[in-house]
Amino acid sequence: MKAMLLRRVLQLITVVWGVGTLTFILMRSLPGDMAYRIAASRYGQDNVNSEAAALVRAELQLDQSPWVAYWHWLTDLLQFKLGDSLVSGLPVMDSVQHMLGHSLLLALSGLLLSVLIAVPLGLLSAWRGNPLDSVFMGLSSVIRAMPVFVVGVLLLLLFALNWRLFPVAGFGTPAHLVLPAFTLAISLAAVSNRVVRDSAKQTFQAAFYRFSRVKGLSEWQTFRQHGVRNIAVPVVAFFGIQLVSMIEGIVMIESLFSWPGIGHGLAHAIFARDIPVIQGSALVMGILFVLLNTLVDMICLWIDPRGVKA
Amino acid sequence: MMSMKKSQWVGLAILFALLVFSLGGMAFSPYSISQQDLNAVMEPPSATHWLGTDHFGRSMFTRMAHAVGLSFALSLLCMFTSSLVGTAFGVWSVWGGKKVDVAMGIVVNILLALPGLVVVLLFAAIAPGSFLVLYLAISLVQWVEYYRVVRAVTQGVIQSPARQSSQMMGFGRWYQFKRHIWPAISPSVFTLAAFGGANAILTMASLGFVYVGIQPPLAELGLMTVELFPFYSEAPWLLAQPLLVIALMVFAFHLLAGKRA
Amino acid sequence: MSVLLKLTNVAVYVDDTCLLEPISLALKQGEPLTILGQTGSGKSLLAQAIMGLLPDGLTVSGEIETFGKVMTLEERQALWGREMVMLPQEPWHSLDPLMKGVDQVKEVYRFVRGNSPEKALAMAEEDLAQVGLAGNGHKRPDELSGGMAQRLAITAATAGGAHVILADEPTKGLDVSRRDGIVRLLQTRAKMGCLLTITHDVEVARQLGGLLLVMKEGRLVEKGEAASILDFPQDAYTQELIAAEPSAWSDITAPIRQANAKDLIVANELVLERGGRVLFDRLSFTIKQGEVVGIVGDSGCGKSSLGDALLGLLSISSGSIVRSDSTAKPFQWLKLYQDPPSAFSSSVSLGQLLDDLVALHRIDESRIPPLMAKLKLPAGILERNCLSVSGGELQRFAILRALLLDPVFLFADEPTSRLDPITAKEVTQLLVELATEANCAVLLVSHDPDLIQRTCHQVIAL
Repeated sequence: MKAMLLRRVLQLITVVWGVGTLTFILMRSLPGDMAYRIAASRYGQDNVNSEAAALVRAELQLDQSPWVAYWHWLTDLLQFKLGDSLVSGLPVMDSVQHMLGHSLLLALSGLLLSVLIAVPLGLLSAWRGNPLDSVFMGLSSVIRAMPVFVVGVLLLLLFALNWRLFPVAGFGTPAHLVLPAFTLAISLAAVSNRVVRDSAKQTFQAAFYRFSRVKGLSEWQTFRQHGVRNIAVPVVAFFGIQLVSMIEGIVMIESLFSWPGIGHGLAHAIFARDIPVIQGSALVMGILFVLLNTLVDMICLWIDPRGVKA
Repeated sequence: MMSMKKSQWVGLAILFALLVFSLGGMAFSPYSISQQDLNAVMEPPSATHWLGTDHFGRSMFTRMAHAVGLSFALSLLCMFTSSLVGTAFGVWSVWGGKKVDVAMGIVVNILLALPGLVVVLLFAAIAPGSFLVLYLAISLVQWVEYYRVVRAVTQGVIQSPARQSSQMMGFGRWYQFKRHIWPAISPSVFTLAAFGGANAILTMASLGFVYVGIQPPLAELGLMTVELFPFYSEAPWLLAQPLLVIALMVFAFHLLAGKRA
Repeated sequence: MSVLLKLTNVAVYVDDTCLLEPISLALKQGEPLTILGQTGSGKSLLAQAIMGLLPDGLTVSGEIETFGKVMTLEERQALWGREMVMLPQEPWHSLDPLMKGVDQVKEVYRFVRGNSPEKALAMAEEDLAQVGLAGNGHKRPDELSGGMAQRLAITAATAGGAHVILADEPTKGLDVSRRDGIVRLLQTRAKMGCLLTITHDVEVARQLGGLLLVMKEGRLVEKGEAASILDFPQDAYTQELIAAEPSAWSDITAPIRQANAKDLIVANELVLERGGRVLFDRLSFTIKQGEVVGIVGDSGCGKSSLGDALLGLLSISSGSIVRSDSTAKPFQWLKLYQDPPSAFSSSVSLGQLLDDLVALHRIDESRIPPLMAKLKLPAGILERNCLSVSGGELQRFAILRALLLDPVFLFADEPTSRLDPITAKEVTQLLVELATEANCAVLLVSHDPDLIQRTCHQVIAL
């Protein structure tokens, strides 16, 4: 447990360092006229002059030596001084906080929905076997072959543009959440339902599962006493692995549905080369990723204490 | 050496067909990817334009062929680089002693601290539209998977009586790798490579889709999806092409993988 | 005495192939019945058929009468736990890996017997105390030793109050001392009803007494009172089975070839610690050239670690190991492994592995055929890989490979514990005979004191 937490803290530090360094390199590698372009996007095309560009250059510390600038960059980062957006001029901290709320809403509802889809379907597959199993597995391999934005585009075409059941993009009402959350849920569930199915199948065939029936417990009692927890072990561990897909999915889905979250922010910032926002949103994503992984690790240890000693 | 299941052959056949389409399209098409014909925009498939034309009147057949070629090039490059690097480091980590293993562990932990797509996005931000950077970034993310699996399997093999006994009988390291380690890791490396190929395609398309990957006027599947999206109702056959091909390529790689990673 | 279980012409088939030939037997209250036979003799299928637990694809014919009534599969399944129970072969696999031991007994009192949670817990704890597991109830199966896990499994299985108890290899993998305890536990559990035990261990059959059935390859070869069969076996197979028990072996210790054999290994005050536990403390001994040295002791006492330490595969905590023979090359110090298939690469044929060795050490190939003949190895096995030959053949092939390198020292780590008794006897004899002939010292590890007694010049007890 301690070792695990220590490892995660180290990982958190590397996230901050890694994101900081990458964005620093990004900033130093900006072509010469970039300061002009940034100034242009901030002050408008007509108001750009060398003064404004110099101001931007000073703000980005492009006039300092690389190592001094790197040191300043990292120390600022450690104090969570994320600076202001080069495009809007607003503090990055505020906009990131705002985006984080939206992303969490999408992530949690998507994850919850995917569990609600994958667990019953996976159990049903394992319990009923063929032909139901083959149908579910075939369906999930087709969905798995589609990138998450293809799933999103299809849902968008069908439910928003064709049948006009839900809004195309944006946020504000619960109806806006439906399509993004379902896109995420479907692409996650298409993978995790197999894990649930395999785990359940393995448990149902396990010697201890049969032994419980031989001891005299009924099928339902055996499932409750020995099934649930043993099936859950690999499934929960898999959710940890799936966090990567979830965060990647969020980047794509938010961009597709213009959902004002971190992923959308990051993609836009990269397009606009808004370095402080790139740094802020990548940082928050990394931290979120490590924290969620820690949470999954802790749940795993709780349901399967065998790992404690190892 | 490796016997393949029927579904794996199907996957290989689909990939081969797509490759032929791509190479043939690039070699024999009379049009270039950026050649516009504003008199013939969004035409349905015809004898002159086998797959129709897009909103600038560019030949979809030519563009699709190039896009598929680009996807193949990237996925194969990433596959070779990351499997080679990952396998080599994985074996070295077990065989090279504790210090190597600890050092590799730190490197891997750093790479795993960020979701792969975010790393690739950050690299893409440094050099937008660069195929080389995309390739390096994706390989950087992907080799870790091979490393972890190869290291775990190799650890088992190193401890195994079979390898220990070969060592005691005087066989060298190359022999031990050839007879014990490679047979144990090759199925996993093969499966990972197939999934890695699919993931490289997905990642490039995703970047293209959020407009930070390969830049216009080049043809790239994700980019084409966004470009053609506004015309979904006038010319649905155009939007369908990149979507279908991405799914087909990924599906074929998944079939080729044979089992789940 | 009432008949609780009666089988009439019960046979098991897969498609049209008969795995278990028709067998009839009656299980009476208070009279234990034991089925003796080697692995693959179809005895486990019989127990599974009685319970209604046969794997898919196997069919059963004949009549199974339980408590005087022929029942359907569903009716028999309804008796599980309450009237009829099967004890598991591998306790570690049969216990829920995530559940505390006491809860696995408690749930039977709670759900099968219908007690309140508090009462069920109290009863479970009382049961565990009776089998010497008091204070161990909070542990999970992976924290228990093999013997403890087997006692827990037996307690959990019999908590439902079943009268008919089927025990399938209940002592598999247990040390001799633990084995006898389990047999006694089974006997007390079966006092009220009846016990059907399936085993490959002649000694277990002897201790259980009652009726005995001897089976070979799915066929019944002999049937009768245990005591009379074991003392006066009629069938040739039964005789061979009994003779294969190490306690029945004649002394096969060969004389050391050179009377004035030199010292090969001198170990002085060896101390070995693993995982914070001292395995042995200040152990001193000498092994001479061509000598057969045995190590005995219960599992986990460090037998294998000692051998590995002598080969330099494990580092010792203190003390010294001196290899006196300085002319021997590193590849002449070799090891035979407990689990033969795990000691070979399955990626190529055995012949290829042999060719690799011949090429590496420039071995004279004409030595191979006579040695193979001595080891009774058919030439055909060279075409196959290690997974498609039997364990006995593979272990003899391992001996062949080792002998080709002219070893001076061979560490044989329980080389026959995974083999059937008849094969085990053959392999052990060949190993000792050929090693002595080659003037190679052997360090033989076994958990069976009888086996060591009959084969070794010197015994180290841990």
